[in-house]
Amino acid sequence: MDTLYQSLVTVNPVTLIAQICNLFIQLLIVKIFFLDKIKAIIDQRREAADKQITEAETAKSEALAIKQTYEQNMQEAKAKADDLLMTAQRTANSRSEEIIAQAQQQAAQIKSKAAADIALEKKKAINEAKNEISDLAMAIAGKVVARELNAGDQADMIDRFIDELGDNV
Amino acid sequence: MEVSINGARILATFENVPIFGTVQITQTLAVAWLVMLIISALCIWLGSNLKVTGISRKQAVAEMIYTSLVNFVRGNMGPEFDRYIPLVGTIFVTSIISNLISLLGIWSPTADLMTELAWGLVVFVLITYHKIKASGIGGYLKGFLEPIFILLPINIMSECFTPVSMACRHFGNILSGTVISTLIYAALTAANSALFHVLGSNLYVGIVVAIAGGALIVLGRKRKKKLPFIVGIIAAVLGVLGVITTLGATFPWLTIGIPAIPSLYFDWFGGCIQAFIFCTLTTLFIKQAAGD
Repeated sequence: MDTLYQSLVTVNPVTLIAQICNLFIQLLIVKIFFLDKIKAIIDQRREAADKQITEAETAKSEALAIKQTYEQNMQEAKAKADDLLMTAQRTANSRSEEIIAQAQQQAAQIKSKAAADIALEKKKAINEAKNEISDLAMAIAGKVVARELNAGDQADMIDRFIDELGDNV
Repeated sequence: MEVSINGARILATFENVPIFGTVQITQTLAVAWLVMLIISALCIWLGSNLKVTGISRKQAVAEMIYTSLVNFVRGNMGPEFDRYIPLVGTIFVTSIISNLISLLGIWSPTADLMTELAWGLVVFVLITYHKIKASGIGGYLKGFLEPIFILLPINIMSECFTPVSMACRHFGNILSGTVISTLIYAALTAANSALFHVLGSNLYVGIVVAIAGGALIVLGRKRKKKLPFIVGIIAAVLGVLGVITTLGATFPWLTIGIPAIPSLYFDWFGGCIQAFIFCTLTTLFIKQAAGD
């Protein structure tokens, strides 16, 4: 059998119609088995990515909130600590002042007591001295009286008196 | 020597088919079905085993193809014409596979005008649909009378020639590629028979040419010159082939490899460019018809 050829440019309605049908069949196959599937998977991926981004953003905002709470807590704690410190300082100050005042008061008391004691002692000493002096005077007077007649004795007596005075004083 | 360039081979003829009469099944249709099978298999393969995370290289390629197609259609038509993505994609892939299948020595379905005319008619229907949709049936018909009614026949012609010109542009390029390939092949066969008529005439001719070639290779390498080196290689190969021919093995040696160089332009480049142009025109015409 001879091989038959079409001429180079022929209008062949059967081929034309068949090719139109082929195009639509091919279109359906490409659409169903390739484009739709790829589109679906790309959409899914995009959705997943969006979800992940949303999740990340939520986590970020949560972390921010936590950070804020933490910072607030820290600030509060700091204020509290400052407050405590201030109170402690104030207490310490007032306490020290109190202690100093007390000490000063005590010292003053001691000082005044000591002064009083000294004064008392002085008085006592003076009194004692007075007593001594009066005793001495009395003794001297007695001696003077006893020895008046004897002039020789007078000098002797004065020496003795001075000696005795020296002993007593 | 005679070179005959024919259209598609007629594979089977059915007489007395209802409505159509005589039906001829041509190579165009057979190869178109083969192309459809290839594309369908590709689609099913690329569209299977898709995952949301940890995607395979295959899926990455599939997504890249899809994204570039969507970008192409949206870039030319805008986002409101997304429903034409499958059509444009199908025409593009069918065109490209049909054009490139000629590289395997198979008749290219796009070398038959009917294939492109089928696509062109589909695009024409869409263009007309969008024109009527945009300005109403009255406005569409009135458009033929503008700017003045005398231009009516010219307007009708220009309207009808849109699909014809699209089809013929694509068809002409592919056909010219086929014709040029055939001519180059024929020319090479002729050159081959002339060349080896000399080289293969005598055992010594082949041996001498081969030795001369070998000497040129050595010389070229010593002097570090490319020209004698390349000429030497060609001469040596031809000489060896001449010897083989003398020993009884005749074959059109020159048709190996050499036709691949022009086919790089006419089949690869031309095929891809024509598919691209056809799709660009499809998108632009539809967009234009729908109005801005």
